[in-house]
Amino acid sequence: MQFNHFAVPDGIAFSSFEERIIEDHGATLSLRSPCLSSEDIVQLMQTIRENRQKIKDYRTDQLIQIIDAAIQKWLDPNYPLRQFAEKWVPIITGYDKNMVRLELKQFLRLFRKKELLRFIQQEFPSISVLDEFYPQSNGGWSRAYGPEFIFHIFSGNVPGLPIWSLVMGILLKSANFGKTPTGEPLMAILFAQSLREVNVDVANTLAILPWKGGNQELEAPLYQGSDTVIAYGSNETVEQIRKQIPSSTRFLHYGYKISFAMVGREALRQDLYRDTLRRLRDDMTIYDQQACLSPHLVFIEAGGNVSPRMLAQQLSSELQQYALIRTRAKLSPEESQAIRSLRNEYEFKAMTNPNVAVYQSEIGTEWTVIYHKDLSFQPSPLNRTIHVVQCEHLEESIPAILPFREYLQTVGIATHPTRLMHLSGILGEQGVTRICAIGSMNRSVPGWHHDGRFNLIDLVRWVDLEGSAEALAEQYDLDVE
Amino acid sequence: MKKDSQQIIEKLLSFIKAYNDSDDAFNQMALELFRFQFEHNMAYKKYAVARKKTPLTIKTWKDIPPIPIQAYKEVTLSSEPIEEAEAVFMTSGTTNKEKKGKNYHPTLSVWDASMVGPFRHFVLPHTQKTTIFVLSPAEEMNQNSSLSRYLTKAVEYCGTEQSQFFFNQDGLDMEGLVHSLQSIEQSSDPVLLMGATFSYVHFLDYCEERNLSFHLPKGSVIFDTGGLKGQAREISGDDFYAWITRSFGIDRMDCINMYGMTELSSQLYDQTIRKKQVEKATPPWVRTVILDPETLAPLPHGMVGVIAHYDLANWNSALAILTEDQGFYNENGLVLLGRIQGSEARGCSIAIDQLLQSQRK
Repeated sequence: MQFNHFAVPDGIAFSSFEERIIEDHGATLSLRSPCLSSEDIVQLMQTIRENRQKIKDYRTDQLIQIIDAAIQKWLDPNYPLRQFAEKWVPIITGYDKNMVRLELKQFLRLFRKKELLRFIQQEFPSISVLDEFYPQSNGGWSRAYGPEFIFHIFSGNVPGLPIWSLVMGILLKSANFGKTPTGEPLMAILFAQSLREVNVDVANTLAILPWKGGNQELEAPLYQGSDTVIAYGSNETVEQIRKQIPSSTRFLHYGYKISFAMVGREALRQDLYRDTLRRLRDDMTIYDQQACLSPHLVFIEAGGNVSPRMLAQQLSSELQQYALIRTRAKLSPEESQAIRSLRNEYEFKAMTNPNVAVYQSEIGTEWTVIYHKDLSFQPSPLNRTIHVVQCEHLEESIPAILPFREYLQTVGIATHPTRLMHLSGILGEQGVTRICAIGSMNRSVPGWHHDGRFNLIDLVRWVDLEGSAEALAEQYDLDVE
Repeated sequence: MKKDSQQIIEKLLSFIKAYNDSDDAFNQMALELFRFQFEHNMAYKKYAVARKKTPLTIKTWKDIPPIPIQAYKEVTLSSEPIEEAEAVFMTSGTTNKEKKGKNYHPTLSVWDASMVGPFRHFVLPHTQKTTIFVLSPAEEMNQNSSLSRYLTKAVEYCGTEQSQFFFNQDGLDMEGLVHSLQSIEQSSDPVLLMGATFSYVHFLDYCEERNLSFHLPKGSVIFDTGGLKGQAREISGDDFYAWITRSFGIDRMDCINMYGMTELSSQLYDQTIRKKQVEKATPPWVRTVILDPETLAPLPHGMVGVIAHYDLANWNSALAILTEDQGFYNENGLVLLGRIQGSEARGCSIAIDQLLQSQRK
């Protein structure tokens, strides 16, 4: 089966292609992508920029309808592109088939009409502020203009994530140029195809293509010619990109982040701890912990009905059973080795330290729970590996996170209401940007402040039409007496 | 020393002396040594028991669980009281200076025997003694370095009176070495240069700056160990040997790389001098296996995996160790690919190594 691994506007043709072959149990997928030159890039840029003129006068609610219509297609289990994605995304990423199916379904629902309206409402006084001047309460009018041209550099750890970025660009009536990752190369392009089925004008403002990152020839025109660049990836990647972008270009980047969980003794009651366990299991198994929303570590408070050590042990049985239902991705030797190194280190510590225990899958590295009382922040090599750290009070864990301030993101938390507010206050002060229930760590809500910032507001340019101009204009209306 | 220890040492010394490549003999000795270590080395026993491996459940040496090299850092791996050890060899501790891996040697008799036989076999198959110039510190400068012991013993057993160490308190005596190489160039006596791979790099830099190069006499050999990874400067193996050829007039097949580890008591060698092959070979009391990094199951011939060594000379700590190095076998022998590097994160989630680095800032 051949798949055209690119989404480009009408009228663009390429002379030569290369293929990436993916095989699985006799089925073969050939990802066919153009061999690009800088001329191709320049031509594509020019085309989508011109095509943008057509959607510039679309009203935002029309654009929402279009995105919603594309998403509605994906909510039908028989939609061919969905079936294609459900078959090949697991094969390419290695993530469990059912997990991909469930998570994609859930993720795509974030872009239905009602979620998009909420998303916009979160940041703007009215949806129409993106279409026309909107009256300000202090007099005058304001209007928000999106970027003319956005270059998106996607990452491949979480299937479908590029859609988020694309949807923002479309809502802001920008021309969108995307570079797909090799890790999960399909979803951005499939989504562009769905948009094409719904509205050609919008589809014609998108160009999404794969190439190996760091290709100066291809990337230079994009860095020079975009008014906004959005990059997902490692801090090194981000630094490399930053050097190449003119200082006047707006640059948003989503770099490395770390997340963790906190479980208070209230959640370890005899009738509740099973629920706590399942929630922790979900947080550390969705996409094998590859999202930055997933926990590296969980602080567990002593003094509940179930001890932290017991919880660690129970979590390991939970993971063992789960491994049979949802298999973990096959790892690279480096990833396996990283898990083994951590296991070894703690297994030998456990020989002389009774406060350390290692629970691990028997044959491979499918899951690992490291229990200890070392109140420092221990990062995890992920892929279903977690530290369970016992503490006397959840507050004790705060000093451990201080060195990682710039990286902190989500904290999954299970505690009493009064403590929740108190702890959230402290966590916020220390740099955490999202606090949610354990079990929901991987599922951000529409309108969340991604890494503590606005999504759309960060991209728009405001234009103020001041009251003075309005008042002056009145003077020229001769009909008024 | 325990009677059991004395007995096992005797057996090992005669095994090493025999230099016999029989699988049966290896298997028998390995099982006996495992029994010994299981009984006297508590940390190794714990590790084995946790994997349900005991002398009763094990039928062949391949079932003996290799202990990860981190064990040498985290626990005491010794069958004899460590206070009475004749020597302790320590790892350089590049990642954490406070936590060095320690290999205790109650006596160095087995270590020495294990060193000298293969050294002669692989490095000096055609001669009993040769002039050796050493570019790395001698034992007296670093009592805890297995490499220093190795170099000192090489000179003691196989060096002529002209042999010399060029590494002193002030570092490598470049000038002295240049001088000695120039005078050896005049003679027709071959020389064996020995040192850590990076000592050569420093020396070659020095020579290049001064436009110096040498034509060492026929039969001369360049011996290096340690490799090029993990240094500030990245040089490939091919570039390194090409540089050696340019600067010393020594062919790649007259260069030999030795692979040793503090955690082992034997060494592996290139077969350049014996067979004109760069793949590595082991002495008869060492078996090296390639395992699947995910499951630690043995991999079929030719596949790349993580390396485990079974070294009978490692009688006091653990005869089977699991490294963090990658390699594979081809028809000529073992090919080493260096350390499995820490994993890169796939997306926005930070990789463990990078996070630790940021913490050190």
